[in-house]
Amino acid sequence: MNKHTPISIHFIAVAVLACVLPVALQSPILAAEVLIFALAAIGCNLLLGYTGLLPFGQALFFGAGAYAASLSAIHWQSSMLPCLLFAILAGGLLAIAVGYLSIRRQGIYFVMLTLAFGQLGYFIAYLAEGITGGEDGLLDVPRAALDLWIVPAISLDSDWAFYGWVALVFVVSFISLQRLVDSPLGSVLQAIKQNEQRAIAIGYQVRFYKIAVFAFSGIVTALAGALYAMLLNFAPLSNIDIETSEVIIFMCVLGGLGSLYGSIVGAGVYLVASEMLSDIWPRWMLLLGLLMIFVMLFARGGLWLGLKLLWQGVKGYGQDKKVKKVEVSHD
Amino acid sequence: MNMFLFEVMNGVALGMIYFLMAAGLTIIFGMMNFVNFAHGALYAVGAYLCFQVIDWSGNFWLGLIVAPILVGLLALVLERTLIRHLYSFDHPTQILITMGVMLVIREVILLIWGTVPKPVSPPDILTGVMVMGDFVYPYYRMFVIAVTAIIGLGLWLMLERTRFGIMIRAGSENSKMVSLLGLNSNLLFSVTFVLGVALAGLGGALISPIRGADAFMGVEALGIAFVVVVIGGMGSFPGALAGALVVGLVQSLSAGFWPEGTNIMIYAVMAMIILLRPNGLFGRT
Repeated sequence: MNKHTPISIHFIAVAVLACVLPVALQSPILAAEVLIFALAAIGCNLLLGYTGLLPFGQALFFGAGAYAASLSAIHWQSSMLPCLLFAILAGGLLAIAVGYLSIRRQGIYFVMLTLAFGQLGYFIAYLAEGITGGEDGLLDVPRAALDLWIVPAISLDSDWAFYGWVALVFVVSFISLQRLVDSPLGSVLQAIKQNEQRAIAIGYQVRFYKIAVFAFSGIVTALAGALYAMLLNFAPLSNIDIETSEVIIFMCVLGGLGSLYGSIVGAGVYLVASEMLSDIWPRWMLLLGLLMIFVMLFARGGLWLGLKLLWQGVKGYGQDKKVKKVEVSHD
Repeated sequence: MNMFLFEVMNGVALGMIYFLMAAGLTIIFGMMNFVNFAHGALYAVGAYLCFQVIDWSGNFWLGLIVAPILVGLLALVLERTLIRHLYSFDHPTQILITMGVMLVIREVILLIWGTVPKPVSPPDILTGVMVMGDFVYPYYRMFVIAVTAIIGLGLWLMLERTRFGIMIRAGSENSKMVSLLGLNSNLLFSVTFVLGVALAGLGGALISPIRGADAFMGVEALGIAFVVVVIGGMGSFPGALAGALVVGLVQSLSAGFWPEGTNIMIYAVMAMIILLRPNGLFGRT
């Protein structure tokens, strides 16, 4: 448990990562994609890994963010910050509404409610052709310029400039959310995950906390969706479909539940694997499925836990590498 | 008027296939409190095995009978190796692990049979259409309705009238009590899982001459099956039948004028039922 890791260490870690990533992947676009989906996976992790709620409709917030940012960029020629603000508002408000309704039920019923709201969003986006472009999606989404009023506007049209912006947003969001999960609110979320009845008995307003975590999840997921639309210059309908929800869950679980770093690893491994393996062996998802089963059965900490064990082994502390069942560890 | 009747019949045929899927899901859920997200993938396996057996033997009937049995065997292996360890887990964990199983099954299907869906033709005796006055309807769909009705009736009789049925109902009421009373609940769980999954396999085999065998057919079917089960009440057998017929009819009746609207309605109804009547229309309170 490195629960008391100072925030400055986290800052250095993700800042270094954000600098190294595009060089290591040799592509600012792929690197931006990794950071964007890492944000989405973190949004899922807040609910699944920290609070124990499995959300099956995260694509709703992702798609809403993409549409909100794209529409304000296309129709109002908004600059970058207002675009992201609209996305955050859309994602946050939707998440509060979905959360408010979904948390009334538990287990499979909760999952089905989030799925139902996700599907409703999908079909509404599909039907509202005049606004969302329906099946064709929104084309020609501009990368809005960064206009800070005091200095001249900075164009983000080049891939490297845009990556720089994505990295900045990522680092700021990551640090804020790491602060959040380390805060007393984060501890209450884990109390809810471990034993909800007990958290209620202690006197916490569990419903309030669940709605709050939904709002944070919706905000960060919508932010990811908005950046993704600008990265692609395109907001496709598939942003909001069930497959996107599944991919976000896969990344989150694969990387490791209950660790924000895990979500970065999960998103990175998933995207890089699909980039590299889909040409060599199109059936690479078979391995993903097996890995999912293994992680859920034996190592909830996921790949991030694996990396940590490896690191400890390298440092000579992990004499006993045969640790099979390891408890979920929280960063 | 005849167009209307045609759509009603289509709705019933579709609903009966959903019923086979949903009945399997609901029996498994009722008995073991287990949520099986791999159900749709196993339904697709049923369709592919039906295709394969017909391809080898040239006999449709053999395919229709052998495919569900093979799917049942696969379910037995799955239950013995993996699934039985999951009954005590919470729903999110069960869902995430069976999602992994779903991925593995889907990718294995694509490995074996390739990415192009396989067409399956109905047997000669069932090709063509039935003409009654000015009402025209394909024989094969009539056959689907008849077979699923017989299977449904058989299941109902089994659940209500046989000793095994009593065990299943008792098990879904209180599985701990059943094992305390001296029944081998492990065996009972295995049999229930195999039965439920074999029903999905049969659904896949039956629908293959209509829709072909497609590795991704399970995704949509799983979504619909869950909607059906939730509407009818998780764990309720009559609920699965009623829910399936309602969903099938609504889908085919509105297919003509507003197909996307149907899906909005179905999911909205599901959300409302969960919120207002969480045990579904037929569920126990």
